[in-house]
Amino acid sequence: MGEVIVITSGKGGVGKTTTTANLGTGLAVQGKKVVLIDTDIGLRNLDVVMGLENRIVYDLVDVIEGTCRLKQALIKDKRYEGLHLLPAPQTRDKNAVTPEQMLKLCDELKEEFDYILIDCPAGIEQGFKNAIAGADKAFVITTPEVSAVRDADRIIGLLEAHEIRKPRLIVNRVRADMVKRGDMMSIEDIIDILAIDLIGVVPDDENIIISTNRGEPAVIDGKSMAGQAYRNITNRLMGQDVPIMDLNVSEGLLSKMKKLLGFKTA
Amino acid sequence: MEQETKVVFKGNSEGLVIVIPEEYEFEQARKEIDNKVSNAARFFMGAKIKVTYRGMNLTPVQEEALKDIMDEKSGAVIESFSKDEEPKPNQFAARVVQPKPVPGRRLLFAGVDEGNCKFVRSTVRSGMRIEYDGNVVVIGDVNPGGEIVATGNVVVLGTLRGMVHAGADGNREAFIYALSLRPTQIRIAEVIARMPEDEPESGTLRPELATVKDNSIVVEQR
Repeated sequence: MGEVIVITSGKGGVGKTTTTANLGTGLAVQGKKVVLIDTDIGLRNLDVVMGLENRIVYDLVDVIEGTCRLKQALIKDKRYEGLHLLPAPQTRDKNAVTPEQMLKLCDELKEEFDYILIDCPAGIEQGFKNAIAGADKAFVITTPEVSAVRDADRIIGLLEAHEIRKPRLIVNRVRADMVKRGDMMSIEDIIDILAIDLIGVVPDDENIIISTNRGEPAVIDGKSMAGQAYRNITNRLMGQDVPIMDLNVSEGLLSKMKKLLGFKTA
Repeated sequence: MEQETKVVFKGNSEGLVIVIPEEYEFEQARKEIDNKVSNAARFFMGAKIKVTYRGMNLTPVQEEALKDIMDEKSGAVIESFSKDEEPKPNQFAARVVQPKPVPGRRLLFAGVDEGNCKFVRSTVRSGMRIEYDGNVVVIGDVNPGGEIVATGNVVVLGTLRGMVHAGADGNREAFIYALSLRPTQIRIAEVIARMPEDEPESGTLRPELATVKDNSIVVEQR
């Protein structure tokens, strides 16, 4: 029985699609059977990031409306054994799918795959409701910006309202130098507000843009910092205990951490 | 104005008030009251009511006659039947006796020392709004974008970063207390305050109490 994980953020442009692509690829490389579902109907781009755009014949709505069988719509990624994509249609809108239909689809996919990763659209409307309908777990993505953290907070509240407990946090695009200078929110600041468990920190890395444009997820790039971060998250997801990557070796962070820990035990 | 000259039934805290136009003959008044009471018999059934009347002056005999009609037709126990003490010069005055309580204009929530209380056992996140007629205690944080509106006090056993309005119906006696007070905005009654923006984030909690003093919100450490 597989696990359905929705990757969501509220705010757009914080890295949901990139994260979905990288985690999916990372899991497949580790030998898992994975399917990625793009639920951003009308604004799809997971297929582009995965470099699979030219192989789309059927999509999510075709499956739900019964135009094709589920197997026909799943695109097999030939580079990584076990990785599949269920793309979103570009010419429909979010109302073409209902949460009940998504739930049914996820249950069906769970039978066959180890992980079902759902790329959630930005916003909190119909598309979001569809994306979380079948999810067992949720990863909330944020960047160290107040607006993104605010939206993540809202999303966590909505997830809890939909009985998806204990979502886990991925902080994306962290710049250690800026945090050090005090120009960027630190991981501790973010966790302090959101009060959920951290599953990973991804540094700001220009390799991501290069790999995204090429359609080759960074997670397979041994030299990329972000790729390493995604590999770590993949391992944590599979139950391994991997320490959070040390982006910042400054005294400031360590002492802050100590303060935080000291306070918690007090 | 045909409609205006009619027998009118009104409720007040004591019981029932019957307004009888002054120019009415007794017989006309008796008939109308008889009609009204018979129609509304089910409404009065089993109640114990004191009846007063306004407008027309009745003799004791006439009062007794009307009381009997009501006793018999309404199914209610009429405890007394008498002329209303307050002189009402005309019907229009009688019509505006009881203004309906308007939210915000009613008496203030009186429970700021002791009274109704709502406990919120989770973090109040962005987009959540807690409204309560009484005091609110949050066991957790109030995050930016979260809102609490209470007619009484608001106590946050955590960090307050969102918006809180205490004494929302205008009660300046209400207070706001938080283990760490750095809200986007706080309001007590109609007084609004923002926090100084340059306040440093300290690692340790510093409980603070916000109250209204001389038309402004004062925050002190507690």
